[in-house]
Amino acid sequence: MSLQLLNPKAESLRRDAALKVNVTSAEGLQSVLETNLGPKGTLKMLVDGAGNIKLTKDGKVLLTEMQIQSPTAVMIARAAAAQDEITGDGTTTVVCLVGELLKQAYRFVQEGVHPRIVTDGFEIARAETLKFLDEYKVSKLNDETDEVDREFLLQVARSSLATKVKPELTEILSPIVTDAVLNVQDKENKSLDLYMVETMQMQHLSPNDTVFVKGLVLDHGGRHPDMPQRVENAYVLILNVSLEYEKTEVNSSFFYSTPEQRDSLAASERKFVDEKLKKIIDLKNEVCGLDSDKGFVIINQKGIDPMSLDVLAKHNILALRRAKRRNMERLQLVTSGEAQNSVDDLSPSILGYSGLVYQETIGEEKFTYVTANKNPKSCTILIKGSTNYQLAQTKDAVRDGLRAVANVLKDKTVVPGAGAFFIAASQHLKKLNMNKLGAKGKTKTGVDAFAEALLVIPKTLIKNSGYDALDVLALCEDELNGAEENGERRYVGVDLNLGDSCDPTIEGIWDSYRVIRNAISGANGIASNLLLCDELLRAGRSTLKE
Amino acid sequence: MSLKLPQNPNAGLFKQGYNSYSNADGQINKSIAAIREIHQMCLSSIGPCGRNKVIINHLGKIIITNDAATMLRELDIIHPAVRVLVMATEQQKIDMGDCTNLVMVLAAELLNVAEKLISLGLSPIEIIQGYNMAKNFTFKELDSMVVNEIEDRNDKLELKKILKPVIASKQYGSEDLLSDLVADAVAHVLPKNVPSGQIPFFNVDSVRVVKIMGGSLNNSTVIKGMVFNREPEGHLKSLPAGIKHKVAVFTCPLDIANTETKGTVLLHNAEEMLNFSKDEEKQIDNMMKEIADMGVTCVVAGAGVGELALHYLNRYNILVLKVPSKFELRRICRVCGATPLPRLGAPTPEEIGIIETVKTMEIGGDRVTIFQQESGEITRTATIILRGATQNNLDDIERAIDDGVAVIKGLMKPDGGKLLPGAGATEIELVSRITKYGERTPGLLQLAIKQFALAFEVIPRTLAETAGLDVNEVLPNLYSAHNVTNDEEHNDIDHLCKGVQLDGESADGVTDIREEGIYDALAAKKFAINVATEAANTVLSIDQIIMAKRAGGPAPPSRPKPGNWDQDD
Repeated sequence: MSLQLLNPKAESLRRDAALKVNVTSAEGLQSVLETNLGPKGTLKMLVDGAGNIKLTKDGKVLLTEMQIQSPTAVMIARAAAAQDEITGDGTTTVVCLVGELLKQAYRFVQEGVHPRIVTDGFEIARAETLKFLDEYKVSKLNDETDEVDREFLLQVARSSLATKVKPELTEILSPIVTDAVLNVQDKENKSLDLYMVETMQMQHLSPNDTVFVKGLVLDHGGRHPDMPQRVENAYVLILNVSLEYEKTEVNSSFFYSTPEQRDSLAASERKFVDEKLKKIIDLKNEVCGLDSDKGFVIINQKGIDPMSLDVLAKHNILALRRAKRRNMERLQLVTSGEAQNSVDDLSPSILGYSGLVYQETIGEEKFTYVTANKNPKSCTILIKGSTNYQLAQTKDAVRDGLRAVANVLKDKTVVPGAGAFFIAASQHLKKLNMNKLGAKGKTKTGVDAFAEALLVIPKTLIKNSGYDALDVLALCEDELNGAEENGERRYVGVDLNLGDSCDPTIEGIWDSYRVIRNAISGANGIASNLLLCDELLRAGRSTLKE
Repeated sequence: MSLKLPQNPNAGLFKQGYNSYSNADGQINKSIAAIREIHQMCLSSIGPCGRNKVIINHLGKIIITNDAATMLRELDIIHPAVRVLVMATEQQKIDMGDCTNLVMVLAAELLNVAEKLISLGLSPIEIIQGYNMAKNFTFKELDSMVVNEIEDRNDKLELKKILKPVIASKQYGSEDLLSDLVADAVAHVLPKNVPSGQIPFFNVDSVRVVKIMGGSLNNSTVIKGMVFNREPEGHLKSLPAGIKHKVAVFTCPLDIANTETKGTVLLHNAEEMLNFSKDEEKQIDNMMKEIADMGVTCVVAGAGVGELALHYLNRYNILVLKVPSKFELRRICRVCGATPLPRLGAPTPEEIGIIETVKTMEIGGDRVTIFQQESGEITRTATIILRGATQNNLDDIERAIDDGVAVIKGLMKPDGGKLLPGAGATEIELVSRITKYGERTPGLLQLAIKQFALAFEVIPRTLAETAGLDVNEVLPNLYSAHNVTNDEEHNDIDHLCKGVQLDGESADGVTDIREEGIYDALAAKKFAINVATEAANTVLSIDQIIMAKRAGGPAPPSRPKPGNWDQDD
């Protein structure tokens, strides 16, 4: 080949071979991930290079933790990762759809249809499916408040979490994530920043003991044994001021000739910090006075040295040092105080308030709770679990649950779940008069392949719960056809517990609108790209040394 | 060209070095086989007659123990499925401190029986469901099987009731002596005058163990206070007994104050130099005098003690002890009620602590300093001085004491005082109760529940086996002792309390555990069953294991060369 003349080390795969490699890689990735799909999906255990264990059902976690080498698989994995970035869910769906689209298309390509024509058909089918999705989606706004009900959000959270964790844990986590999202939602501005939900892990008890804390939990405590462990009616000072001796930027040294001089020099070094402390203590005395039922808490992003801690402890102040940066913003929202970068303009107005600040010690680690606030705009989900893998699994699930609830709040619409949309859309495409859509001639094969590929989701769901996929699918289709004859609109999904059809709107199984929309667009895009690829080249230098 | 086998579709999907084991290749059977290996190892160490194991860890340290948590920790297991079980035992160790072996053995046994079910054709999901149902039922039954309760948590005899069986399972034979020691130590640190109905707060950290080689276990004592493995710095080694001494605790060095910034002494002539040292001396003198003037007779220093400072402290007859550990320093503050001072200077009266006895003693070859509170003073730390012939022995006894102390911690939780019958009695009863529950359950889950019940049999069987009894004789006897229909002669509790007789005194190997005083804590057992079931379920729920190539880290240090360290060849 001509390429070999230019670079004798180059490797290449052409035409059919290239397509075949792409299709088999996509199917390979699909076969790894498909067992994870749905509430009955199984767990995978990942062991990393250091021997750490991770258990997961989440496609996103699997794809990021595994180092995938096959170039085709990497492309699909990136598309799936993008799906996660945008919507927070549906990674496994994307991988399954891509694999299935390629598999269906390959059938036609082998019969002599040019890949370009198939992808044209894909494009028409995609547009039609998205149009159908807009018809199919259900709006669940409460007529009076124009908001989505909490009860309904619970169902959404449950549908999402059920695919990540055990059923018991789902029941516990659903109200937690729903309340957390509702807590940080700003109803006036209609804005929602999930970053304001802190997730804190505590290696303790079991995931079933995970709790929702209206307030903030910090993973450190007072660093002085004499500091109060529990402060009620606390004023909270949020600081970003270093309370320790800092070396000068320039080279400096002292010259002294008597020990007294040296002592005064040593004292002057401390003076700078002591002045700052004095201002803080003055403020404390101003707001608390001699009234003993009020407390004072300092949360500092920078350090506090032992000497300063001692002074603060003597004044019965609970001081936390080296607070995380991300918590400074949340603290302001929780306590409605203002963070200070200097101690020059301290006044009672910048102080936050918390009804109860207390410490909890678990083993060696200390946790500080800032709770009982007035109208907190930030909150914490305190994840518990006895082992690292449990903690990580729960954390990933909580993250996805939060995103799922947030998606519904943003979209204000949902799609009936349990594979219902995919079955209905597939039927819709198959029954359509394709010529009207512009799919003439062989382009129809693309639409056919697309319609067949959509069924992979319900099929996999059924397969994972141990039932016969075609059997259950046929049941569902019969029911849909029956309903159509009677002229009614019905939502038919698969029941994974009984291996039967069910109505997801009654069972309370909902998918997020944007997850499905993105998954279909993303999967179609990447599948078309891979189909149109007619040559794989590896011609770059692998290392510079050669 | 030879024929090439067609490659499987996933070849080249992952980076090189990845291993993937899926259920289709019988992953679960292989995992269970690996778990069985470790199960065999732990099994023979269960109970009072459990065998010891010698483990030489990667640092070349020799450990002799029958404590499952220690064994598993030192073994450094890498098989991922076994790791899940090991993590479960670690959790038990952290939360309850006891019953770690129960977790390991039960979880492994649950998986063992699950393997049978899988080969029968049950899916792991169904087994998990059955196990969960059985677990919930077990919890309910356990609550109804409580036969004894510790009412007064300050009473030593009551405490011993729960300490003895725990320590006996680690150090059979010396349980009386050791539980006495632990009960004494705990009684010292438990706060008195806790209003009735409230549970006193107990910190595991407040019972310390100091191991000193030599003597025998009978020489071990409990000190109400702390013991340090070093002697005071100055020439004053002990303070007169019978008076209360004032203690000041410093976290800063007892030396001339230094500036953070580099300092240079600027001297113009010889006279200035002489004056400088003289002034320095005077300053230290003043400082120490101030401390002495406050009536302080004992100084504890967290950092270094300067020679000059030591000289003056000696002159003022102040005892100086250096305690380099931050945590020890905090504990001594708790013992005598002092506040640690970050700056050198005279302490205020509130910052001064009180101690009654400070003395240096020679125990074995070591000189130790003892800080002891006499009589009525409240202390927050008690120390057990352990004596024994070898380091390994001492380590093992310390582990037994740790378990004992952890049990006391569990006791201080709500519901912590409830006791179940020990010596396998609970397990035997559970076997029959869960089996009956399984028979009442319709469907495939019945099989899983019945196997769950069967797994419990491993405990009494092993107890009997390690004690050298005839298992085939003892187990049926136990079952029949438990299977009694209630009538006037047998009240409900009687048959519940039939456990394995380890000493072989009775002919049928069955004894009433109330006579022997063998009880298990309800909370620990519940937690263990929960953790074990969860671990077993986790292993069952995995369908694929994907392993990365082990990353190369720093090589473990090689074992020290035999022979003299100076030998050079």
